[in-house]
Amino acid sequence: MDTTLLILVAAIPLAWAAYRWHQRQTHVRSRRDLEDALKHLFEQEYRGRRASLSSLAGVLRLGGHAVVTLAGRMQAQGLVVAHGQEFTLTPEGETLALQIVRAHRLLERYFADEARLPLGQVHAEAERREHGLTPEDVDRLSAALGHPVVDPHGDPIPTRDGVLAPPSGTPATAWPAHTLGRIVHLEDEPEISFAQIVAEGLRLGQRVRIVASTPERLVLSDGEHEFRLAPAVAANVFLAPDTGLEAEAGLRRLSDLPTGERAEVVGLDESCQGFSRRRLMDLGFTAGARTRPFLETFASDPRAYEVRGTLIALRRDLAAQVLVRPMAADTPPAAKGAASR
Amino acid sequence: MSVATPAADAAIARAASLRDTLAVSFRDEAVRSIYAEATRIADRAAHQAGDRRYDFDQRIDRIVTSPVFGLPLMAALLAVVFWITIVGSNTPGVWLASGLFWIEDQGAALFTALGLPWWATGFVWHGVYKGLAWVISVMLPPMAIFFPLFTMLEDLGYLPRVAFNLDFLFRRAGAHGKQALTMAMGFGCNAAGVIATRVIDSPRERLIAILTNNFVPCNGRYPTLIMLATIFVAAQFPPALASAAAAGAVMAVVALGVVFTLAVSWALSRTVLRGEASAFTLELPPYRRPGVLRILYTSLIDRTLFVLWRACLTAAPAGAVIWILGNISAGGATLDQHIAGFLQPFGHLLGLDGVILLAYIIAIPANEIVVPTMLMVYMGTGQMTDVTSFEDLRRLLVDGHGWTMLTAVNLMLFALLHNPCGTTILTIYKETLSAKWAAVSALLPLALGFLVTFFVAAIWRLFL
Repeated sequence: MDTTLLILVAAIPLAWAAYRWHQRQTHVRSRRDLEDALKHLFEQEYRGRRASLSSLAGVLRLGGHAVVTLAGRMQAQGLVVAHGQEFTLTPEGETLALQIVRAHRLLERYFADEARLPLGQVHAEAERREHGLTPEDVDRLSAALGHPVVDPHGDPIPTRDGVLAPPSGTPATAWPAHTLGRIVHLEDEPEISFAQIVAEGLRLGQRVRIVASTPERLVLSDGEHEFRLAPAVAANVFLAPDTGLEAEAGLRRLSDLPTGERAEVVGLDESCQGFSRRRLMDLGFTAGARTRPFLETFASDPRAYEVRGTLIALRRDLAAQVLVRPMAADTPPAAKGAASR
Repeated sequence: MSVATPAADAAIARAASLRDTLAVSFRDEAVRSIYAEATRIADRAAHQAGDRRYDFDQRIDRIVTSPVFGLPLMAALLAVVFWITIVGSNTPGVWLASGLFWIEDQGAALFTALGLPWWATGFVWHGVYKGLAWVISVMLPPMAIFFPLFTMLEDLGYLPRVAFNLDFLFRRAGAHGKQALTMAMGFGCNAAGVIATRVIDSPRERLIAILTNNFVPCNGRYPTLIMLATIFVAAQFPPALASAAAAGAVMAVVALGVVFTLAVSWALSRTVLRGEASAFTLELPPYRRPGVLRILYTSLIDRTLFVLWRACLTAAPAGAVIWILGNISAGGATLDQHIAGFLQPFGHLLGLDGVILLAYIIAIPANEIVVPTMLMVYMGTGQMTDVTSFEDLRRLLVDGHGWTMLTAVNLMLFALLHNPCGTTILTIYKETLSAKWAAVSALLPLALGFLVTFFVAAIWRLFL
């Protein structure tokens, strides 16, 4: 009898703790679902589409009943307005959604540039960590990253005041054939199509043109390689007229420069951000610096480059981020900078 | 700081709001203008009319990093450093040992004269003090030679070229080229190698370098390797070739260590430590005349004494444990003989024996005491024991305790692949501040060691 009593007495706090834990988990999960729903609605509106109960159920992987409950909650909190089967965000809902989008894209920037996760994992990781950040946390993250304006997929990052640049670029499926374009955005959802884009080797900032287009296949080419994509996947690659540094005629990547040939640095590739960009600039690879590949190793990667009077070894992938203009052979050797120490 | 007026607050708020609107390239612009200003000042202040030293540097660089001569030159230089270390530390080691052990005898005599019980004398002098003295006399001379030589190469500007030459291997393994430097440092001492990984910026690549540093044998493990190579490998060859064969066997173990370093780095960077390679940038500084006094100071104080101090902290308790295990008897045998008997079946499975495993367990604090502990248990002397001639040692091991070529080969493998010493584990904990990674660094090589020796033993017994 005593033992039963003892077990009962011991069980009460345990059961209470379990109940609180369960409550907390439910709370966390429902907040996560709410935030993900708002984000989905926002992204649909941003791309000029409408979200519905079924699109919500698909994105959140929730059953019909749960989605209806969730939608009811959002309406009750004044975050969304229903139009039949479809929903739009209220101004309050949009503010909240923008905060989450901002957190998500800044986290993606962090995971890609500072933590150096593979691009394919960045989205999922940010998806996990974006909930539960306060606006102050997000501001600090933005400041630490130097207030970046686009995420690693080319999506604009909302400012603190909720200003978001309009969508940029045209889907590759609607891009005129044989016209040079620069990849400005790679849609990261759905994951399968993004994984395919990454696997093909397409990356942000690449200059491509469409060389063949059939109902089953779209073939892009960057002049060296061809990339074959199904139209459904190609619609997630967004192109814009080429305006960046890379468009300038006569520029080469430092990695392509033959050993011993002198060149002047013009700038760094836009896709090189975060730690790598800071490091390259600290070492003196800034516009106007003179450089030349000087030493080769056994496998000719890395090579050592002469810049500002010192020798810096870079691997090929990093040297490819430096854009240079080869100097004519008859240019007198640099009087300052390159060969002085 | 709190003198902010409303006007200042407004200015700060305005600056903060404008901060977001700055173009991304403003950083590039800031760095560019700093460099432009620095160039302007430098050009005004300094003149330059040709530079013969610089041309000379370039000529050396072309040889040292040449695709043809670069790697062989590097291997030859490292071999010379090892050779000087092994040969040079021989005599001072003997002097140091006889001096320190003389103190032990005097101390023990003093204790006996004072009428203290035998166990007090034994515990303090033949236990704690002997452990300390042994580690110092085995560790100090090679470290005091290896580290200055190594620092000399570093100061000369040669080491960055080594990293440059070897980067292609580490790039393929998903690691950082500077890991070549920390690995080379590990030949001196793994704890020092772990500290040296601070030169790697990326936390992921630094962790790879830390976890794999133990795969190259340190100074403390050379005595074991050299002894085995001399007794077993050299004995298979005619006398004229014997020393070359022994040296070859040691170099083969070292090469195997490098292979394991690369293979484990490769596996780690594709599994638990997945990620993109970080920016590999390495400055190849101009060659400098090494500052001998400064080198001696930094390598002796910062590296040698620092590492030795940590080793002493762990060797003293180990000395005590060894003495207690060797002197407490139960049922007609000492504790260490009991434990060795218990470990015997497992040891046999790995091609080793129970005594060797016991020695490795006791010697966790410092690898230097593996061989002395082994000899102590074999000979039943109750304290760490040295056998001076290789011939005596051979008779003791082969005839007395049934060692075979397999035992020797597997012991060499196990000397390469087992948990790092206590000092290194402690250093890894301090560098990573993570008990988890310290545990991984200890268990990963140990598991590999068990696997490799097990398979070597199984295959050996099947076919030979």
